[in-house]
Amino acid sequence: MAPEVEVLSTRGRVARGLLSTYAVLIYVFLFFPIVLLVLFSFNANRYGTFPITGWTLTWYRQAFDDYQVHDAVATTVKVALQVTLISTIVGTCAAFPLVRSRLPFREGIRIIFILPIMIPGLLIGVSLLVLFTGTFHWTLSPETAVIGQAVYTTPFVILLVAARLQGFDTALERAAADLGANAFQRLRRVVLPLILPAIFAGALFAFTLSLDEFIITYFLIGGHNTLPIFIYTQVKFGITPEVNAVASMLLGASLLLLGIAFALPQLVRRTRRLVVRARTA
Amino acid sequence: MTVAAAEPARRARLPRVGRAALEYAGFVPTIVLLGLFFLVPLGIIVCYSFWETVDYSVVHHWTTENYRYFFSVTAYVSTMWATLWVAVAATAIAIGLAFPFAYWLSRYVPKRLRTPLLVLVIVPFWSSYLLRVYSWLTILGDHGVLNRFLHWVGITRHPLGVFLYDRPAVILVLVYLYFPFGALTLYSSIERFDWNQLRAAMDLGASPLTAIFRILVPQIRPGIITAIIFVFIPILGEYLTPQIVGGTGGVMIGNLIVNFFQSAEYTRGAAASLLIALFIVALLAVFRKSLSSRDAYGT
Repeated sequence: MAPEVEVLSTRGRVARGLLSTYAVLIYVFLFFPIVLLVLFSFNANRYGTFPITGWTLTWYRQAFDDYQVHDAVATTVKVALQVTLISTIVGTCAAFPLVRSRLPFREGIRIIFILPIMIPGLLIGVSLLVLFTGTFHWTLSPETAVIGQAVYTTPFVILLVAARLQGFDTALERAAADLGANAFQRLRRVVLPLILPAIFAGALFAFTLSLDEFIITYFLIGGHNTLPIFIYTQVKFGITPEVNAVASMLLGASLLLLGIAFALPQLVRRTRRLVVRARTA
Repeated sequence: MTVAAAEPARRARLPRVGRAALEYAGFVPTIVLLGLFFLVPLGIIVCYSFWETVDYSVVHHWTTENYRYFFSVTAYVSTMWATLWVAVAATAIAIGLAFPFAYWLSRYVPKRLRTPLLVLVIVPFWSSYLLRVYSWLTILGDHGVLNRFLHWVGITRHPLGVFLYDRPAVILVLVYLYFPFGALTLYSSIERFDWNQLRAAMDLGASPLTAIFRILVPQIRPGIITAIIFVFIPILGEYLTPQIVGGTGGVMIGNLIVNFFQSAEYTRGAAASLLIALFIVALLAVFRKSLSSRDAYGT
């Protein structure tokens, strides 16, 4: 068993020093643009750039008063909720047979299921545009965008829930069956509670992906705006501090949701342990 | 007698069919969603690329005219090559930058710090894609940070337009966008590497770089290939990055496709889309072997 941090020669220490510096630079590279964006949203300078002429919440206030932003937020949330509902249900349903049935070509089916993540969103958008307007003669609306986004988010839910089911100890179910639980009771009382964190994480993932999705929505939403589409149309006329403010809020929302999605399974586990301990004590 | 023998057999089979139906029932919603709204539309796009647009409507008349048209316009063909070139360059740089990082993370960072540091890399990856492209405008633009800095230092008197609206800007932003994926994929395969092998190679006289390229790299090949695939494919279909930071000099196929569809040239747009799909298929065919291995798609 190797020690956690190995004892290094001089050459090794130099390599470690150089690589550590490099890693710091990488983190700067990754966060610099995002930090700047947030910084400028509080900057009084109306060009939305350096120099910092003072700190202000004007741009946030302006964004809150902008009816276009209101519309975009309302549409974004409505679309995201529908996408989340669809992809969570569809994805969870698919995860069960994917993991548990005696499936021929399991790997092949898995690859088809994750294909919508792999191919560029542009192709999904374009092909659905052709289907909706050319074949079905539908009018583009937030609902058509919901369908397009769900195609893209559902595979994420499938992957997350399937991963959780894979690690599921089937002995628990057999034990429940031995104790007289029927199939529905086993699902309701044993399986679902145990995979619920994964389902919830999948739902939050789908929600966040939907909030930020651009290209599919761009093709399918018709005359409406979601926040990313709104930001895009504004960017065409140059950056404004108000857009910086909207962008910062969108960023904050996605980071918050993702934080919850990542922390949730652990949180649930810890609470459950506490509850169990309290009961046994 | 035959009837009597068949009866219990049928009774036994019915529940089995029922059970099988129940077993696969979960697939039904996904088959509807991904079949009707993913595979069928892709099929329609294939058909479209061989049909004609006459007076803004699509005529079901089989022809290769769309492809011939695409390849007859020099600007389109050069955009296609440029797209491939940009994708290759951005993928190579992103993975080239990610390798030393992943190496550092899995070799020199104490175990308990690895996950937080990795999450820190992925955070930008999961935050809004549009915003990450957009944020570069505040750096590279005329009033951007870079120009302000050069002016402040005294190198330039007027803002330089050279940072934005050309291929280098597109490549830079693409590297920025896809670095996290490269780092994540490479890390998850380097993490499983047994460092004693590297030490052994060096004890036997190999230089560190030789040891890395002869011992480490061959073993993490599946990880490298996964990273290449997952970085290269989305770049082929990029629309937003060239649109926002690329200007007229940084156009990629994605922009051509959007332009075709916006000007109601559906069948030509479909043909251009199929070209992207063709490149993807070619890429997957090249790496077919490693893709079929178990952990190839990083689950």
